[in-house]
Amino acid sequence: MSSTKSMPSFTAENASVNPSIVVRLLRNILKTRETTLLILILAIVVTMSVVSPYFLSVGNFRAVAVGMMPTAIIVIGMAILLASGGFDLSVGSVMALSSTVVALLLVAGVPIPLAVGLGLVLGAVAGLINGLLITRVGINPLVATLGTMSIARGFALVLTEGYSISNLPKEFGFIGKASVAGIPAFDLAMRHSRFFRQVYFIGANEKAALLSGIAVNKVRIIGYVITGTLAALAGVLLASRLMSGTPTAGSALELQVLAAAVIGGASLRGGEGTIMGAFLGVVFVALINNSMTMLAVSIYWQVIVTGTVLVSAVAIDMLVRRKVA
Amino acid sequence: MPESSNALIELRNVSKNFGPNKVLRDVSFELYPGEIHSLVGENGAGKSTSLGLMYGLLQPDAGEVCIEGKPVTIESPAHAKALGVSCVFQELSLAGGVSVAENIFAGHTPARFGVIDRATLKKQAEALLADFGVDIDVMQNVDNLSISMRQIVEIAKALSLKSKILLLDEPTSALTPDEVESLFLVLKKLAKKGIGIIYISHHMSEIFSICDRITTLRDGRQINTYQVAHTHSGQIVSDMIGGEVPISQSSNTNVRGPVVLEAENLTLAGEFKDISFCLHSAEIIGIAGLMGSRRSLIAKTIAGLVSGWSGEMRIKNTPVHFCSLLAAIQAGVGYVPQERKTEGLFLDFSVCDNLIAASLEKHTKHGVLSKASAAKTAAQAIADFSIKTDSHDIPMRSLSGGNQQKVMLAKWLERDPKILVIDEPTKGVDIGAKFQIHRELRKRANNGMAIVVVSSDFSELATLVDRIIVVRDGEIAGEIQACDASEEKILKLAASGLQAKQPTKILTSRSTVS
Repeated sequence: MSSTKSMPSFTAENASVNPSIVVRLLRNILKTRETTLLILILAIVVTMSVVSPYFLSVGNFRAVAVGMMPTAIIVIGMAILLASGGFDLSVGSVMALSSTVVALLLVAGVPIPLAVGLGLVLGAVAGLINGLLITRVGINPLVATLGTMSIARGFALVLTEGYSISNLPKEFGFIGKASVAGIPAFDLAMRHSRFFRQVYFIGANEKAALLSGIAVNKVRIIGYVITGTLAALAGVLLASRLMSGTPTAGSALELQVLAAAVIGGASLRGGEGTIMGAFLGVVFVALINNSMTMLAVSIYWQVIVTGTVLVSAVAIDMLVRRKVA
Repeated sequence: MPESSNALIELRNVSKNFGPNKVLRDVSFELYPGEIHSLVGENGAGKSTSLGLMYGLLQPDAGEVCIEGKPVTIESPAHAKALGVSCVFQELSLAGGVSVAENIFAGHTPARFGVIDRATLKKQAEALLADFGVDIDVMQNVDNLSISMRQIVEIAKALSLKSKILLLDEPTSALTPDEVESLFLVLKKLAKKGIGIIYISHHMSEIFSICDRITTLRDGRQINTYQVAHTHSGQIVSDMIGGEVPISQSSNTNVRGPVVLEAENLTLAGEFKDISFCLHSAEIIGIAGLMGSRRSLIAKTIAGLVSGWSGEMRIKNTPVHFCSLLAAIQAGVGYVPQERKTEGLFLDFSVCDNLIAASLEKHTKHGVLSKASAAKTAAQAIADFSIKTDSHDIPMRSLSGGNQQKVMLAKWLERDPKILVIDEPTKGVDIGAKFQIHRELRKRANNGMAIVVVSSDFSELATLVDRIIVVRDGEIAGEIQACDASEEKILKLAASGLQAKQPTKILTSRSTVS
């Protein structure tokens, strides 16, 4: 018998059926990926505070927060897409494209709100194109978003001839201090709203969802539009922080986002994962990388560690589920 | 059976628990060479668990499994196969996109120096299928085959291993009477060769026509093991349900209401044509037909799942022309599909989630789902259908087939559609669950719902519905009123003109107890 997937539990907690105390304890701790990650994150913080005098400082935490901002925003969309059984590889390119377009508009003298608005619309349109290619034309998400990833990156490079666009108006710099209140808001919506419940149903069994009267294509397209818009938002915030639009920003970001979401409990099979989990996945990876920097581990090793963490997280999850089942 | 010879496989005082659930308690039976031994019981009685123990999917908590007299621990299906045990499950396990022959010999493909020997592969596959009287191109993709043909390929696959013990779980649930006949011939041939067969089926007449012994199970306990000659179906059924056979309620006592749905000359090029009928509220009509009669396609058309049809359809005198399920749902039509695992349910999600999947908006306020309202609905559905589950929060996957079927149906009834279209309401479901599903459908009809039931189980139609529309080759062959419906009459209409064969003989192999 299998355990219920880590879709946010909608009804009461599962009745425990395990006789062994050890297994039960293990299961309770590991019941949700969120608690597991939270424990690991705390462990890192405690260990690092002891090991490194510089770790536990406002400056360091701010640096970590700023560094993980694009990933943290985009992972919201990616978690939604993964739950629906899809994903989007174009997020890094769309982020770069929106950052350069907004920068170009600002340099051309377009007012800040309008420029930002247009940047977001651009992301939404990119998401819409992805969604339409996948649902209406029927192209596989991997191929469709691989294509748009290349196209968006290409546009960003063509528009800027490969150079960063700087000399942005000073007032634009304030936008970068946006709060992360979006994460809990999206997390709650994902857990309790009808719309997102449909997302899970689609990811678990698309045909059954269709035959249950769920507007499958509409929901999936909306998922891509949300993701595209969030990628564009990340681009705007990045431009604001760097005070420039960079066409080469966010390369390989899509893979970091996917990795964090999967570490946070999402699955490429669809039907599971939460936004909070995905967000904690981002925090976890960011802290590990930060710790290694503190400990003067080479940046190249950090890449290896990230990969190892990804594979171990999934492997441990598989093993625990098999034990519990 | 030759009691003196060593049993091929034997369960000795076997018990199995899933957590607190005792799914098997002290069960013992044996299978002799050349014997066809049937396990019968309601869903959840322990048939599948027994099968799992013999096939290495599960290990007993107490007692032992013996092969040829020696206690063994069957670690996995691969181990079981090595020990000469093969199994065909209800759910098909063929690999799509691959040829029939390669599927049959998956895992032991004939090869020379690592290169697949296509000529031998083809020859061996053809020889195996010839035993079934089936003549198909074995090099074609399995995706091209009908479900019944795939079932036969599946059995051929099991036989390709030269097993001594064959476990069959509902092998005929997707077969036409003809195919059942040829399957039985093959099984008898195999038994003559000394192969032992465990045969699980809900079709009482099949069991009595082919099996040598019957073991009855109820709630994980072994009730009895009979020689077929020394028992009768009444005894088996009362063993299964633990009491007298429920008499199916007479269906034509209620008064039907006004016409809700009118179909006039529904036609889909190359599939069906000139399908006309009307459906009243508080009425259950059946659409009967053999495989290839397009009975399911007609049901799907009513539910908006088919586009490109012509003709007229009116719901309460309003012309409609659905081209999507959503449009049909808006107009008050509900559709319960045939395949519960692939089309109907979300197996990893909870029972509660499944029950509310088709009526999310009913439990939503300002876009937020209400836990309380969903839980209330779930509790009600579980009570209405007597769904056997520890709670509404356990994964759907852990329920038995009959209970899953009830959930799939309850999911739609929850929406309270004006018109409910059901394709095979009791496919692969035991007698108890079938009875409860029929009772619930009749209750809804009495409250005014109009119901269309598509079924290949003619005995089900004869007892459940008020009127039966028989389709043959995509055209209406006739209509039968419930009061004079019988399985035989339906079959005559459904098959007449198709081929010259003796319908009565076929009947004996398909009739079920209900």
